[in-house]
Amino acid sequence: MSPSRITLWFLPILLLIGVGISHRGLAANEPVFFRGINLNGPAIRIDGHDWEAETTTNLVLSGKSFENQQVPLRPATDPSRSRMIRSSRWGSRVDVSLTSVPPGTFQVFAYVWEDNHSEQFDLLLNGRVVAEKFHSGAAGSWQRLGPWPLRLEGTNTQITLSARGPGHGAANLSGIEVWSGAGTIPSPEAPRFAGTPSAEQVAFFESRIRPVLVEHCYECHSAQSAKLKGGLLLDSRAGVIRGGDSGPIIAPGDPEASLLIRAVQRTDPALTMPPKQSLPPQAIEDLIAWVRMGAPDPRTEDTVAQQGARSSIDWNRAREWWSFRPVVDPPLPKLRNPSWPANGLDTLILARLESAGLEPTPDADRRTLIRRMSFDLLGLPPDPAEVDAFVNDPSPDAVSRLVDRFLDSPRYGERWGRHWLDVVRYADTAGDNSDFPVPQLHQYRDWVIRSFNQDLSFHQFVREQIAGDLLESTDPEQRFSRIIATGYLANARRFGSRVDDYPWHLTIEDTLDNLGRSFLGLSLNCARCHDHKFDPISTADYYALYGIFNSTRYPWPGIELEQHQRDLIPLVDRDQWPDYQVRKEARDAEAKRLQKRVQTSKDALKAAPAEGKSEAEAQVREAETALRNHAHLAPLAEMAYAVTESDRTGDAQIQIKGDPARPGSLIRRRFLQVLGGDPLPVGTSSSGRRELAEWITRPGNPLVDRVWVNRVWQHHFGRGLVPTPNDFGRQGRPPSHPELLDWLAARFRKSDGSTKSLHRLIVLSRTYRQSATRSMASLERDPSNELLSAFPRRRLDAEAMRDTLLLLGSSLDLSPAGAHPFPPEHEWKFTQHNPFRALYETSHRSVFLMTQRIQRHPFLATFDGADPSASTPSRLTSTTPVQALFLINDPLVHTQAARFGNRVFRSGGSPSQRIDLAYRMALGRPAAPEEARLALRFLGAAAAAESRSETDHPAAWESLARTLFRLNEFVYLD
Amino acid sequence: MIPQLGKMTRRASIRSLVGGSLLLPGIVSDLLAQGQPTLGEASGNPLAPRAPHFAGRARRVIFIFSNGGVSHMDTFDHKPKLFAADGKTLGVGGGLSNQQRRLLRPGWEFRPGGRCGTLVSDLFPHLRECMDEICLIRSMKSDDNEHYQATLAIHTGSFFFSRPSLGSWVSYGLGTLNQNLPSFVVISAGSPYAGTQIFSNDFLPAYHQGVRVIPGREPIANLDRRSSRSGAQELELGLAEALNRRHLDARGHDTDLAARIRTFETAFHMQTDARDVFDLSKESESTLGLYGLKRGQTDGFGWPCLVARRLAERGVRFIELVDGSSSHNWDQHGDMAEHAQHARNIDQPIAGLLRDLRQRGMLDDTLVVWTTEFGRTPGVDGDKGRGHHSACFSSWLAGAGVRAGSTYGSTDELGASVAENRVHVHDFHATLLHLLGMDHERLTFRHGGRDYRLTDVHGNVVQALLA
Repeated sequence: MSPSRITLWFLPILLLIGVGISHRGLAANEPVFFRGINLNGPAIRIDGHDWEAETTTNLVLSGKSFENQQVPLRPATDPSRSRMIRSSRWGSRVDVSLTSVPPGTFQVFAYVWEDNHSEQFDLLLNGRVVAEKFHSGAAGSWQRLGPWPLRLEGTNTQITLSARGPGHGAANLSGIEVWSGAGTIPSPEAPRFAGTPSAEQVAFFESRIRPVLVEHCYECHSAQSAKLKGGLLLDSRAGVIRGGDSGPIIAPGDPEASLLIRAVQRTDPALTMPPKQSLPPQAIEDLIAWVRMGAPDPRTEDTVAQQGARSSIDWNRAREWWSFRPVVDPPLPKLRNPSWPANGLDTLILARLESAGLEPTPDADRRTLIRRMSFDLLGLPPDPAEVDAFVNDPSPDAVSRLVDRFLDSPRYGERWGRHWLDVVRYADTAGDNSDFPVPQLHQYRDWVIRSFNQDLSFHQFVREQIAGDLLESTDPEQRFSRIIATGYLANARRFGSRVDDYPWHLTIEDTLDNLGRSFLGLSLNCARCHDHKFDPISTADYYALYGIFNSTRYPWPGIELEQHQRDLIPLVDRDQWPDYQVRKEARDAEAKRLQKRVQTSKDALKAAPAEGKSEAEAQVREAETALRNHAHLAPLAEMAYAVTESDRTGDAQIQIKGDPARPGSLIRRRFLQVLGGDPLPVGTSSSGRRELAEWITRPGNPLVDRVWVNRVWQHHFGRGLVPTPNDFGRQGRPPSHPELLDWLAARFRKSDGSTKSLHRLIVLSRTYRQSATRSMASLERDPSNELLSAFPRRRLDAEAMRDTLLLLGSSLDLSPAGAHPFPPEHEWKFTQHNPFRALYETSHRSVFLMTQRIQRHPFLATFDGADPSASTPSRLTSTTPVQALFLINDPLVHTQAARFGNRVFRSGGSPSQRIDLAYRMALGRPAAPEEARLALRFLGAAAAAESRSETDHPAAWESLARTLFRLNEFVYLD
Repeated sequence: MIPQLGKMTRRASIRSLVGGSLLLPGIVSDLLAQGQPTLGEASGNPLAPRAPHFAGRARRVIFIFSNGGVSHMDTFDHKPKLFAADGKTLGVGGGLSNQQRRLLRPGWEFRPGGRCGTLVSDLFPHLRECMDEICLIRSMKSDDNEHYQATLAIHTGSFFFSRPSLGSWVSYGLGTLNQNLPSFVVISAGSPYAGTQIFSNDFLPAYHQGVRVIPGREPIANLDRRSSRSGAQELELGLAEALNRRHLDARGHDTDLAARIRTFETAFHMQTDARDVFDLSKESESTLGLYGLKRGQTDGFGWPCLVARRLAERGVRFIELVDGSSSHNWDQHGDMAEHAQHARNIDQPIAGLLRDLRQRGMLDDTLVVWTTEFGRTPGVDGDKGRGHHSACFSSWLAGAGVRAGSTYGSTDELGASVAENRVHVHDFHATLLHLLGMDHERLTFRHGGRDYRLTDVHGNVVQALLA
């Protein structure tokens, strides 16, 4: 149980106790305002209390004085408080001491603010930390922190508030407010809007205020606006009171603190209203007078409620879009040629061909078919014996048995796992400015591969990646595996190199962007700043999901200023947990002790007399070595780079125009409106990831199955039925065969999300088995082969090409690849000046190559590998001279060609037989007689070119091998 | 005039592949006797020259990037008040931390250069002489004080997310003039901030990727022949072409197959053509002298500058020169005096490049750009250094279509913020594209359901920079 849940669980009881005490003790121990001090300014009156100036008695101050009254405060507040806040004491060590304080019970508040960039610091009250690693927030942020209880007894007559910014953090302390007594401190009376207006007020409103609003504001801020700006309605009292996306616009009675007045006075260049031209001075004066009165407003119509009913998105219409409609298992059409189809898939394909007047191409021969299937399902070529066995297998189920064998091969998961890793932009580094390595992420990569090999239900596959840590599990093995699955979320990109003000919002943005594309085929990120322009996704939708991930704790991969990992998840069995805790605490305590020892020894060195210096220095060295050795101890348990629930779960606020410094309304966590909009149950104390996983995978969500079956189709045919696999919205392209997409999706759901069953449906179809030879009719009527009257020829991707070179060179290592040889964590000293950068050679399959976020792997970059920073829905196939140069000169090609050439050379038999073997291995077919003749002459000439007298020389065979590796036929699948 | 392979006949092309070798006359004639489907124009070369949106002044770009943050008030932005204000404290604002508000006087005197008399500091005595060629911008503005983000932004327009580089956009928009060389070449001895992202094609097709040149023995990866005998490679490529053409014959309509055959021809020629670019032996002593380059020298900035001219001559569309790396650059927090060694490294070579281009008449249609990722603070950082400062900095343009011998924009009297005519990074990009004849709002690429632009949703062409 997380600490937050414990707290929440006890909360009602604590409240009950609290209420009980206050009822009885209120009169006796009612708190009394004791002192308030304006730490960098004159005496002032705040909340009806007299505050003292910085020059008062019984006060000791440190820190430098700082003032900037120009910064607009967020939220705005009354003028005297604003003045007090915007003048402060700043520094990385600031102490404020009230002296000669009588014994008793006190409660202390501190006013802190930020004038420019967020800083991080700790606040201490009489030496006790009361706010740890406090972030001061964006420019203009301020807070009244507290109350913190404090009891003074005996000789202690001081109240000391201290700010400590280790590293670079500097605090701005504006004021200290102290109350004596223990009870609830009365909150300052909130300003009120005027109630029913008097006759005079109505007259004032009608003659001086309403005309101004109508003339200058309603165009953008009324229910009639063509486009409502800033979420602000000024055409009703409810709208005026509610305010807009930037919060309340009026502080009743206090024009200076009112955003409305600041905007019309053009105080803050970021917010000037009306945008183009100032209001006449008299109108501004009137508005000020109105606010001072408490904004009396006789209007009774509630446009806010009306607006709530009217959304900018018409949800019913939105659900009409093809991809949001329910999946319908379509009836199969009648065909002119009913004998061709092997299954319903073929029927739906042929129906379209027939209506276009086209015919399917006859089946490919068995050699072509086995090569196609082997690369498709395994990413490797079949070996010659396998090809012969298949070609000579007379049984009617030869193809089906071959498919089963391929699907049972461990190579299958390595191939198809890679397709998924493309979509989720897998990388082995974090992507921050120093690109920290994440040595544990290979566990997630291996989990993906294993899940494909085990044919884990796709819906479970999705669930575990979003909420694996929150699912029930039957044994520790399963639990660990599900925790590791959330590496999907943990792998979201990291940014920057600031520790203060770490841009978590960008990591969450990256999470949502990928989540939308991967599972739903939707680009959610457009809704970060404004309602999506094309798809039915509102900004509220975005922040409803944002809250879920803002309530999730991501692991810390390390960053320039904090070089160590933290918040990873120990993979410890529940039985072992207490023991682990004990050992962990002991180890942490030892670390603290050793740190303290270093400090003590350093202090001793400073104080040591000259003759004792060398001894003291030795002590420091010894203490430092002990601390270092301790830090290098192996972790107490295997750690997973995975997520868990945050200590602070809750809804998130809209960030106006995507700017985290401009918080707007709080949005309840829920699913996308267009897909049901289910809210989290009231009182949910968890993040909501578990619910989100269910919403995404439930049968009623038509997108999840359509998107996945489309991806599977795409990897078999080179192009999805929907050619934009990450975009099923209006900016994407509609399916070429909508009925077929649904036919597959319906079967996929019935098979409980079995991807392997889906492969069988596709690979055993006649459509898939067609030859790649195009007829003239097909070229004329369907040039891009959208209707699939032939198998689309495809080029091998980067991984299949490299793996094949290694396989033919007998270099491919098929044992488990495991972890990358990253340097150990205690050696990490990465900075943006010297970021982590490495290239690890491996003879494992290419899915196991270490890939970085900010440095692309040169081979993968050359051959259109996946983008390690953003989802790659489909690989490009560019054709560049740099690729050709690689095949002409790269050592990888030369080494593997040498090994392959020698292998063939030593295989025995006549040169013609060996040429045949080379063809069978590299191209999956025997050499044609003409090709064999040409190759023979080539071998002789190549030997001569190498100045060899004998014509049958290994160097010539290497030369032939290099030639074969460069052929179009080598890298294209028919 | 650059010969274009696509225009050569098949027969001539294959002869060139076999390179006049007499080792295999039989095979050559066999190859030539076979059917000869034309590969040429059907292959839809994505790097073929493309017409711009309108007639641009510049045909190619040499983009020089000084990494680390060059101090504007110590180089191109003269601030007399700052000399006098040494040690005083600056008021708030300007994005400065509290520590950086104690002012530090510039370390170098300023003198007028050229007929235009633009003031440039003693850090750049050679460039100062070229001010009549230069359009200096003193009001540049970026949005992030971190090297990584600002470096990514000056290259891609994006501060956090990977996006295509400026050079990739230009290659995508205009193609290239020499099919035997890449369209976008980056000469970078070290690795800059933000890594290879800064010359990445990102979602644009890989043809538009910056090809990295590292000064030294093999400047482009896999440029060196690895076959032990020279004739062997010709033989292998000859046989591969013959077999590829057989394969194509049976699949005659597939332009992808034809395009791939063509890349082997190009790559074959790159081994010599690209080698030739890096062979400076035929350059005269006086030319080498312009760049301050000793014969055989490849370190320092003279080699990249001279090679840039040679690449430009051969029709490469976009050439980027990276000055400094993430670990050794202009980032002087501790002591501004170190600016001197970095300035010395680039001053004469860049001035030499401008003069050489002018002599050869190439400056009329070549745009030369110099920039950094951000400026430095007027206040002190550390002991005698300056901090990162994105609020303002200086960059310059020279050559095709720019208002030479002029300055544009200004900062306040201390160089803390832009005073007039702000040129944001997006405006800078919009203007560069405009000089090439492209409208930054029309140069788009559809990706992930959106039309992306170099300038995102921002940017205005700064007309005042144009001649």
